[in-house]
Order: sequence, then structure tokens, then C-alpha cells
Amino acid sequence: MRTPSSDMRSTPGVGSRPSRRQVLRASLIGSIAVYVAPLGSQAYASLFEQQLLVRPDWDAAAGVLKYRIDGLSKVTGAKVFARDIRARDMPHWPQQQAHALVLRTTRADCSYDGFDLSLLGDELKPDRVVTANDLTRDGLRFPDFYGEDMLLPEGKTPAYLGQAVAILIFQDFVRFRFAKEKLQFNDAVIRYGAITGPLQRDPWEAVRFVRVGGATPHDDDVFSSLKDAPFSPGYEKHEPVWPAPARDGNLAARGMYHASAIGEELEHPPADWVVLRRRYATQSADTAALEPDNANGWYDSEKQELHLVVPTQSPQEMAQRAATMLQQSRIGLKQLFLHPCYTVGYGSKDSFALPYYALVAAVYGGGRPVRLANDRFEQFQAGLKRHQFNIDYTVAVERGTGLLRSLRAGIIANGGGRKNVSDLLVRVGATSLGSAYYFPKTDVATTAVASRAVDAGSARGYGALETMTATELMMDEIAGELGLDPIEFRLRNVLKTGMRNTQGAIPTGTLRAETVMQKARVHPLWSGRLARKQVYEAAHPGKYYGVGFGCIQWRFGNGVEGSLSRVELAGDGRIAVFNSGAEIGTGTSSGQAVACVRWLGRPADAVELAVTDWTDLPVETSGDPRKMSQDEQDRLAQNPRWSPAYASASSASNSSYYLSHTTREAARIVFVHGLWPAAIAIWASDAAAGSRVPALEEARWREGSLTAGGLEPLPLARLAQEAHRRGLVTGAAVHGFNRWRWAEAEFVVNGLSVRAPIDALSVRYGEGSDASAATAPGRYQVLDRQAVFFPPTQNYNAMVGLSTAAGTLAELVVDAASGQVTLLAHHTLLDCGTMLVPDLVSGQIQGGTATGIGLALHESMPLYEDGPGNGTWNFNRYHLPRGSDVATWTQTAEILQPLSEDEPPKGMAEAAAIPIMAAIVNGIAHAIGHRFRTLPVTPDQIMAVLG
Amino acid sequence: MSLPTRPLAVTINGHRRGPIDVPEGLMMIDVLHEMLGLTGPRLGCGIGICHACVVIWDRDDRTSEEVRTCITGAHFFEGKSIRTIEGIARRDDTGRVLALSPVQQAVLDKFSFQCGYCTPGFVMAATVLVERLARVPVPRSEVEATVSAALEPHICRCTGYVRYYQAVRDVILATPGLTRDAG
Repeated sequence: MRTPSSDMRSTPGVGSRPSRRQVLRASLIGSIAVYVAPLGSQAYASLFEQQLLVRPDWDAAAGVLKYRIDGLSKVTGAKVFARDIRARDMPHWPQQQAHALVLRTTRADCSYDGFDLSLLGDELKPDRVVTANDLTRDGLRFPDFYGEDMLLPEGKTPAYLGQAVAILIFQDFVRFRFAKEKLQFNDAVIRYGAITGPLQRDPWEAVRFVRVGGATPHDDDVFSSLKDAPFSPGYEKHEPVWPAPARDGNLAARGMYHASAIGEELEHPPADWVVLRRRYATQSADTAALEPDNANGWYDSEKQELHLVVPTQSPQEMAQRAATMLQQSRIGLKQLFLHPCYTVGYGSKDSFALPYYALVAAVYGGGRPVRLANDRFEQFQAGLKRHQFNIDYTVAVERGTGLLRSLRAGIIANGGGRKNVSDLLVRVGATSLGSAYYFPKTDVATTAVASRAVDAGSARGYGALETMTATELMMDEIAGELGLDPIEFRLRNVLKTGMRNTQGAIPTGTLRAETVMQKARVHPLWSGRLARKQVYEAAHPGKYYGVGFGCIQWRFGNGVEGSLSRVELAGDGRIAVFNSGAEIGTGTSSGQAVACVRWLGRPADAVELAVTDWTDLPVETSGDPRKMSQDEQDRLAQNPRWSPAYASASSASNSSYYLSHTTREAARIVFVHGLWPAAIAIWASDAAAGSRVPALEEARWREGSLTAGGLEPLPLARLAQEAHRRGLVTGAAVHGFNRWRWAEAEFVVNGLSVRAPIDALSVRYGEGSDASAATAPGRYQVLDRQAVFFPPTQNYNAMVGLSTAAGTLAELVVDAASGQVTLLAHHTLLDCGTMLVPDLVSGQIQGGTATGIGLALHESMPLYEDGPGNGTWNFNRYHLPRGSDVATWTQTAEILQPLSEDEPPKGMAEAAAIPIMAAIVNGIAHAIGHRFRTLPVTPDQIMAVLG
Repeated sequence: MSLPTRPLAVTINGHRRGPIDVPEGLMMIDVLHEMLGLTGPRLGCGIGICHACVVIWDRDDRTSEEVRTCITGAHFFEGKSIRTIEGIARRDDTGRVLALSPVQQAVLDKFSFQCGYCTPGFVMAATVLVERLARVPVPRSEVEATVSAALEPHICRCTGYVRYYQAVRDVILATPGLTRDAG
């Protein structure tokens, strides 16, 4: 095991909203050394991806990856999940595994008065019970992000259903198992006192986005979030109170002036406007990642070391929070060893609380490793949920032209008991509702309410899924009102490249929703739908046939993205990639390997993810990248090591673009400053090459060899050997920062000035170089940037960068006798730029549409007492889509050809989940003539309409 | 500890394990995970719905079937022979994989899974199906329906099922003796 060097510094994540100076060179957080530790043994093979991955099987001629590089482990039942790991798999841990469970309240309307474990008797009595008193005594408290009361003290009213009150630790599995059987579903265990009613709290967030556009979609705005800013209200009796309008007042007053004008116009519209007001509701749902939350930890009190095996979508963030939590306690800690594993979350393992309970359990484990692993009932009770949305739209459209004129929206999302990411998520939801359409005027107010529901988190779609679905249902309603074909109506209003969105920002890149709509309009599922309805219903009495459409222009990312990547080339041509992102099942590891192809001719041979040790690339961060002023950013940027944000959590949609950007840029540096000059040197020494020096633009990889202008193809191994021999660049570590566009910086590499879309760069020279040039441990030379161009802070309010267009046609049948909806087929059209791994893209579409089907037709839970917080929910009463629900054999998809061969890959996994939701609900309307506005659309709802 | 126990001996992946003392009432998945280190059969729901935890029970009459270990007591398996996902590929003495089964290979080739948590269950179901079809072939025209019926109980959250179903269909169609002409 490695020992800490004296010069290791911390690795915070952007999600933690760093508020103090955090120096990031490696792994020292405060006084605690933090390791994502290579273990080099059986556990090493179990835990660390470089051992779980196999060399990519690359078909050079076809240019495709033959297998997922984590595939062999997963298909043979290897221990790849944190859930699979026990103490015996960790050779340096004590081998006796202890187990823990968390006692949780099932009421939130009265005081909590303790618990009674007498039903366990002496035999099943826990070996250690941890309560709020222990935490208070030892100074252990939740990281700030999670709020107060990690364990609820007696006498307080639970803030939410399922709030934790105690951790019970058993030193062996059998007693744990049987004790749990007695405790689970037993209402007598927790004692409650006086009725207090649920806690009343201010919302987690309320914010308003107002825009009054110029004369055309291309003119400057009169008022907008980008030009001015979004603004927030005050609160009275926990309700938002928006400021009084004033034309010449402060920002909020001016915003309200324009909002009032929009409202006035909708109340008293011009004669040729049609104004529709509709209310939509989407459900609370479980992310239902199949691996329930878990962690396994061991606290070595003698050495003051804590070891944690965790599934997480954000290892940097977890390292930061865990170390800080312990540092601020009276528990002695010198070193923290964090072992992130493959995982899956759909948002449920992004900023989730369970690892910190596991950390506490480990601290009180009496020297034994303690495993805390939710079963499915506990996962429903305590896992992060999808926000429930109520969406109130008022939309005006000009009857004569069919053009959208104005939109007012009130959006309320239920964030549950803890804030988590509710503040950010409702902003994303609010700023996404414009989707693929141009609105000249918009007034969008959104609130994330605090409630006694189970915490809601960053579930797939991140608020945009809900608002965009409502928008798509509204589009069909308006088209119906105008008597227009729904796709024709959409095309009249489609947001085209160069137009401003609801924040007044112009999305980056080419918008292709129009292409998606045009293709859908001529697809046989759509063009023949009326005739097929007649034929089908005639042949199938008691069945109603329908086809619906949904389309979105979906931006991915959250406006503050950081990513690190290191690409290294060995002397024999082997390529290794190290990236800060984590594998969450979407194929990130494969995607990162393939991201090397553009510049290195083939994918990486080895990929290590969730890397937190960036000793070779010192980057510092401070301040809140979302809230800092331009002056503050300009001042901080004078430090050549500073960046506004460090490393993002992994999500299904950010890996292909945000994470692979840095990998591609690192590979580009290695190519331009290593392989290319090596090739020039080889060709120059070859008499056949003549005297002509090819230009870089002529460079082409052909089946793993580099050629240019007809010169001899040179295999990567030969180039790598030459680059090393000449001491050229053979490794590059880069950091990228994106605030809806990438930061750029200038560096001098080997005497050449370079400007690249990165903000930090270290390079490693080949074996033949003078090692004394190295300034970092891994023989890297850290380059001070000569100039940096960060995206302006105001850019955060744009809330749009690159975006993905997706549309789905759904063909379905409604059974008149049962109200059951059966999908006959669906067809998805998707623009996702250049695909990294086509098979993974196709798989993501299939998985995404299944998610959308579940949310449109099946998945739902009550928010409160009858909901999952009561601990009785499982898959027996929460229907996840099965094979028979998703049109397995008949679904199809078309990926739009990229606009150019170097168009970047775009995030798409979440995008594919959204349009099918509206397509189904709109298809039901086509089938039975009724528009549903509450999801999911259940057989009961349908039967209530059909009678 | 005085919790009543009974000995349990099971043949797992061709190796006789036990007898070991197992508390009465413990589910098989707990024995596999906590006592035998076999974590491939995964806990998804714990109530027999999702089928991520299935193992193959090889019956004396040479038929095979899936059994959900999260709702089946460990002692049900006394004296029986089962396979877990860890025993499906051919391995050498050190446990290194020498060759995947046709089902595993097809699932890998098709990029069938994403997170892979449910993969063991799907592989087991498909393996049982292939073994059943070897005894009782189906008409080629019924292969897709047969695959759908066999895999329907298994829940996957990531993939939308398409690539699992296609992989298993392809194995069946490519393996002589599993299908017959209609009629």
C-alpha cells in the first residue's frame, strides 16, 4: 500500500458548492490524507477497474468496439459492485464482517420519543446502538449539504418520512438477519409522542425566469435571464412572495414588471390569440436502480484510518465530504481510503446519504468492518426519489399563423425532506420547458417545496423530463385547438439554430429538432395513422388504436462541469487513459477508451475511472462557480492553477461529451506534440518521402497506422517508439471547465504556443528526454498557462450549451374493457453528434424509452404516509416495465448522421427517455379522444373516461 | 448463539459444499453471499419479483429450472445440485475464465447489458431455456415468443430488454437442435 506523500492536497467536487479555498493537487483534505487506494491483491482485482477491464477488442477496419470492456466481468458474475464486497475480499481488513441497519421513522406528524428493542430479546440484541447522542458527543454531523439531524434526537418531530433515528450494529450476519426480520414492518419499535403536525418550512428554492424578446428571435432581448438575471422572492408563511413590479426598480422589480405585462396580455389577449391554460402533474417515482444503496467500511482506531467501499456517481465529492465530516469530529482520523466501485444509480447514487451512515457505522463498529446495505424495502424508504411536479401552463398562440406568442408557467416540484439538489433541479426544469420551440415572451416561476416526503434527488431527466413532457402534451392540445396536424404545428414553432431560448441565450451548435420533426412527419407510423386506425379498429372490436408523437431539444449538463483526463502512450504503443468520471453502467469506460481513436488511431488499452489522484496536474478551485461575480472570477483567474470547478459527478448523459472532451484533448496534445513530429521525422529520413513535409491537416489514421498525403502508413507502436526516443510528448494531463462553453487557455509546449479548450495542462516527455524538466511526481511537467479565457459568469444564466434533439412516435392500443394500454411499436429519432460506441447509443435509446414507458404508464407512488417512507414498498406494488411492456421486437430507431466527422458526441441517454412519454399520452388521446394531464395514465383513469 | 441450525450440503457448480451449519429459516441467497462468497446471484427485491437472484437447479431427471434464492430457504437445497452464474463459464483451476457459454458470449456480443446487475439472472434464464429447447425444440417461427415468455419474469432497469432478447434468440437460432420446422 502506498504511503502519503507530504504534498497531497484535496479533491472536492463541484456539487459540494465549495465555499472555502480548496487546494486540489492530490489527496490531502485538511489534515486527512485521502486515497482512492490501489490495493494490489484479491480486493484489487475485485475493486479496481483496470483489473476488471479487458483490452478493447477493436475492429480497426470497421472502426467499432466489439465488446464493452467491462463486459467479461459482468457476464461471469464477478464481484464488480460495492454490494458484492465483504470483509473477506479485502485482505488488509479484519475478516469478520459486521452488519448494520438503520431504524427509521414512519410518521412525520408527531414527536419522536425513542425506540424499543425489547422484542429482540438478549439473543438478537444489537452489539452497538448508535443514536443522536453518540453523534453529538463525538462531534459527528452530516456534511453541510445534507442539512441537520443525521440521526434524529428524541423529542423532535421527524422532518420527513423515513428519517433515520438509530444505527444498529451486529457483529455477525445471522443475528443481524433475524433481528431485522423482527424489526422490519413493526410499528411498535419506534415510539411517538405528541401530535405536532408536519414541519412547515420555507421552500428549498423559488426562482423566476422572465424574458421579453426583441422584434425577431434573433434580436436583442428587452429583458431576459441572460441579459439581466433570474430572480427570487421573499417568503411569508413559507410561501413565495414576489416583489412589486417597477419598471425602473431593481432587477426583481423590473422582472416582475415584465412578468406582470405578460400576465396582463394573457388575461386580455389580442383578438386573434388563442389562450389555453392547462395543469399537468407528474408523479413521485423511484429511480429503481437495481443495485440498492450500500457501503462497507472499516475504522482502524489504532492507525486512525477509515476504509470505505462505496458505489457512487461522484467519488471526488464523496471523498471531500467524508474527510471533512471526520475532520470536524472528535474521531481521530489520519487517512481515508475510499474504494469506489462500478455502480448504477439513475441519480440515486449522486449526492446520496447512505455512505455517511456507513461511515458512522464503521466508526462505531468496534474494530470490525461494518456493512450497511439496503434491501429493496429500505431502498424505497430511504433512496432518493424523483420529484413530483405540478405544472401550470398558460400558452398563447396566434390563430392565423399558428405561431406561439407567449407562455406563463408556474412549476412546483416536491423536493421532500432534504434539499439535496432541488434548488438546481427546478432551475433546470424551468429553463428546459421551452424545449424545441420559440416563445417570444415567457414568464416561468418555479418552486421546490420542502415536505415530509422522502428526499428527492437528481433522477434521470433532472426536472427537464417533467416540464418537457408537459410542453409536448400542450403542443398537441394547441394543435388540436387550431385544427392543425400536431407535427405541422410543431414545425411552425420549432426553435431553429441562432434563435434565443427562454433565457435569451442562443444554444450552441446546430439545432436539429426540425429535422427530427420532418422525418417523423413522413414516417409510415405517422403518415398512415388515420387509415391504420380505421383498419385496426374494424378488425379488433373493443380496441382503440392511436399514434402519438413527442419531440424535445434537450440540453445536457448542468452549467458547471469539470473534468480531468490523462492520456499516456507507452513505448510499445499501448495507450492508457485515466479519467475523473465513474462507470455507472452506461459504458463510460468503453466510451473513454474510444475517445482516443480520433487522435491516436485506436482506443485505449487500459482505462481507469473515478481517478481522484491528480498529483501530476495541480488544479485549485475556490468560490461558488454558480454565484461568483465576474470580478471575483477575474481576480481568481490570475492564479494559473485556478479553475472555477474541479470534477463533475457522472451521469448517463455527461460522460459522452463532458468527460470525453478532456480525454480527446489530452490525446490531441499527445498527437500534435508527440506522434506527429515523430512521424515527420520518420518520413523525413525515408528517401521515398522526398522533401515534402505534409501538413497536419493531411494526417489520417487508417487501420491503426498514420498516413498523410500518401506517405508510408506508420503503425502507432513505431510512432510511439520514435516519440519516446526523441523525448517528445508521450503523455498529457488536462483539466476542462465548462459553463455552457469550454474555458480556453494558452500554453507553451516544447516552445510552441498552443491554445486549447482546456484550462490546465501537464505534459510528460518520452523516455529519451531530460527527466529534470519534470515538475510533478509522474515525470510530468506542469505548464503554467499563458492566458485563460473562462466563460463569463453570466453565462451560467444561459442554461444551455450543446443540445440533443430526440423525437419518438408511439403506436398503441387501448383495450376498452380493461383500460390497458399496449404498445405495438415505437420509433425514435435521435441526433447525438458523432457516436463513440454505436451499440451503447442504441442500448441507451432502448433503455431510455423503457424508462419513459414506465413513467407514462406504470410507475407511481404516493408522496406521504402511504408512500415508500412507510417502509412497505417493493416491486410487488411498483411496476417496472417488463419485456412485454416495451414493444421489444418491434421498436426501431434512427440516429441522424452527424453534420461533420468531427462533430462532438452529445449526451443522449436521458433524452431518449423523454419524448416517448408524451408520444404515449398523445397516442392515447388519438386512440380514445381524451387528453390526460396526470402521469402515469393508468387503466383506472382510462376506464373512468371510457365508462 | 442458540439459534437452531441444521447442516446443509449442496453441490454448487460441480463442487460439493458442506455440510455447513446453517440457521433454520435462512434464505439461500444469504448462504451464497455471506457463507460461500458467491455474490453473482444478486439481491434485487428480496421477495421473488425481479429474478436477479436465480440459480439453476439441476434435477435428477436431467432437467433444469430457475429457483429464486431470495425466497427459497437454504435447506430446500439440501442434497441438490445447483449452478450459479460463477459456474456457467468454463474456468481453469485458478478460476480464470477459459470460455464463455454461448449465452454469455451472445449477451456480450450484443452489448445486452449496461450496469450488469441483472445480467446473471438473464444468463441463467436463457441457459435454462436453451437446455429445455434441447429436449423439446420449438418451431422457428415461435422462437421470439418463446424467448419473451422465458425472460418476461426478469426485470432490467437499464436496457429496455431488446438486446437481451435478441441475444438469446440468436443463440437459439444458431444452435442446431433447438428449433424445428413448423408442423
